[in-house]
Amino acid sequence: MNSNRQGKKRFFVISIFFFIWIFLIAFRLFDMQVLDYTTYMAKVKAQTNRVETLHAKRGTITDRNGEILAISLLSKSAFISNKDNGLSLGVFNRFCELVALGRPQRMNIIKRIRRGEKFIWIKRKLTDEEFLKIRPLALDKETAGTIDFIDEYRRVYPQKKLASHILGGVGIDEQALGGIETSLDPEIKGRGGKLKVLIDARKKIFQFKVMEQPLTGRDIHLSIDSGLQFFVERVLAAAVERSGGAGGTIIVLDSRDGQVLAMASNPDYCPESIWSTPQPVLKNKAISFLYDPGSTFKIVLAAAALENRICGREEMFDCHNGVFTIRDRQITDVHPFARLSFEDIIVHSSNIGAAQIGRRLGKEKYFQSIQKFGFGSRTGIQLPAEENGILNPPQKWSGVSLAYLSHGYEIAVTPLQMATAFNVLASGGFFIRPEIIRDTVPGAGPARVLSAASQQRLTEILTAVVSRGTGKQAGIEGMEIAGKTGTAHKIKMGKYANSYVSSFGGFFPAQDPQVTVFVMIDEPQGLHFGGDVAAPVFKAISEKIMLYLKLFPDLPVQNEIRL
Amino acid sequence: MNSKGRSLADFRLAILAFFIFFILFIYSSLNLKNVDLGYQQHELLLAEKNLRLEIDSLQARKAELLNLERMERIAVEELGYQYPEAGQIIRVVENGNE
Repeated sequence: MNSNRQGKKRFFVISIFFFIWIFLIAFRLFDMQVLDYTTYMAKVKAQTNRVETLHAKRGTITDRNGEILAISLLSKSAFISNKDNGLSLGVFNRFCELVALGRPQRMNIIKRIRRGEKFIWIKRKLTDEEFLKIRPLALDKETAGTIDFIDEYRRVYPQKKLASHILGGVGIDEQALGGIETSLDPEIKGRGGKLKVLIDARKKIFQFKVMEQPLTGRDIHLSIDSGLQFFVERVLAAAVERSGGAGGTIIVLDSRDGQVLAMASNPDYCPESIWSTPQPVLKNKAISFLYDPGSTFKIVLAAAALENRICGREEMFDCHNGVFTIRDRQITDVHPFARLSFEDIIVHSSNIGAAQIGRRLGKEKYFQSIQKFGFGSRTGIQLPAEENGILNPPQKWSGVSLAYLSHGYEIAVTPLQMATAFNVLASGGFFIRPEIIRDTVPGAGPARVLSAASQQRLTEILTAVVSRGTGKQAGIEGMEIAGKTGTAHKIKMGKYANSYVSSFGGFFPAQDPQVTVFVMIDEPQGLHFGGDVAAPVFKAISEKIMLYLKLFPDLPVQNEIRL
Repeated sequence: MNSKGRSLADFRLAILAFFIFFILFIYSSLNLKNVDLGYQQHELLLAEKNLRLEIDSLQARKAELLNLERMERIAVEELGYQYPEAGQIIRVVENGNE
């Protein structure tokens, strides 16, 4: 009986403790889940919820055949999370043993570590090899957390210097710094996204929601052919070196649709190191170099004369034996002639003959023709920094302007404008805006600026330029080539100086043009005439193009080209 | 309440308990499955991302190998090809399949 009461008492005491324990747990749960709900929920969210940035990948740039010219690859950027200056310096010294860094950069990082900065970039956009070398440093238990990595996209140009002026380049933060990277930047760069993730205790993501879908940049298909571009750049570099020139440019257009097949500018650079390239080298001479075109511009004069029917086929013009004075200014010919026909004025590139034609044509008609060929305004090609050129209205012309404009002075043009003008003749008399993007939606159709008859006659004349005139050195056996030479003084300090721009523009096959080529060499030393400097370059390129595009000359044996 | 009535009440309680347990079991199973699928989905997403990166990397590598300057160097230095000189005749033999 006594033991029974004691048992009940013990049970009662244990029950009391048990209920107190249950109550304490219940109270704690109530406190955590109801009273302090907000605080604890915030802690949970901070530990499990994370918003991750999804980087946008820049679009890939390819040539017309799909060969990659620029692509973005994900890479690692290394930084120091500086908690202990001594430890960070030790890690950085080990890093420098593995990856080459310039002395100024090294000293700068050491200075920043000593200053106690918490976050210091040590090398951004590491190559795969560099990352593999330094990865053990980040995994080392003694130094863990000191060196770490962030994912970033790295722009790679696998063809190195090829088409550098067309591509441009990007900076360390993928900001566009020139070329197509700049002009189409809004489309190429895409848009970053955001991902909301839930992570577990091991930092593994077990739930995620895309808050903002990343938008990869648009892929761009250029109209250039990297094979042709390579040949053209090679030939241009050799020509500039041979002539001792300051640079040059070559443009190759598809005569039928105006698409740019190649566009080279010398000197060139590597797009991957664009930020360390001097500004003058970055200039794309094809669209930004302004010069007086000289005799290549006579094609515009001839076209205007033919359209306005001001010259008879057999009519002879007085060429004043090589020296002609208008007001107080002298116009001279390199090879003096007493009289020349309209055709021979172009074939022998007589400045005096051209001046006579110009005077007969008159200011207004000539000005209208010049405008119709696209001079004085940008071609609208999708590249940045294209120049308008300089074309004064007739009201501003002096008494000698018409004579000077007739042989390509008192006007400033870009090589691309000249190439487009030659392409008017090659395309059957249509002005076609040059395009560098393969899949451009065609805007307004080509505008006819020259009648078929005038175009045909002018093509015959330009064929004679190559067969018996100033452009003989551009000739290829069995292939009819139409072209025109040009040599012009450069303007320096506001005056025409004794330095020159040599050029040659043409197209082939003359009767069924496929390709239009324009060559310009800036400041050649020694021989400076377009026929001596630029015409052989045109020939060298044409031979390569003929082989590449299988445009074979009309020779007794088929599929042969005699160099 | 007689014993028959009590056993019926117990039975109902047991059914209710089982039902509650069943609901909780289904709910927690679905939640666990959801979490498991989340892990799998994320792994697949990572795998897809890695594959895309690898494709990009391989494409860049291929483009580097097809670099025309490199090919020219190999043709000239390793295979002994030479550029034709002025006066030479080049004959192009086309492949019959082209």
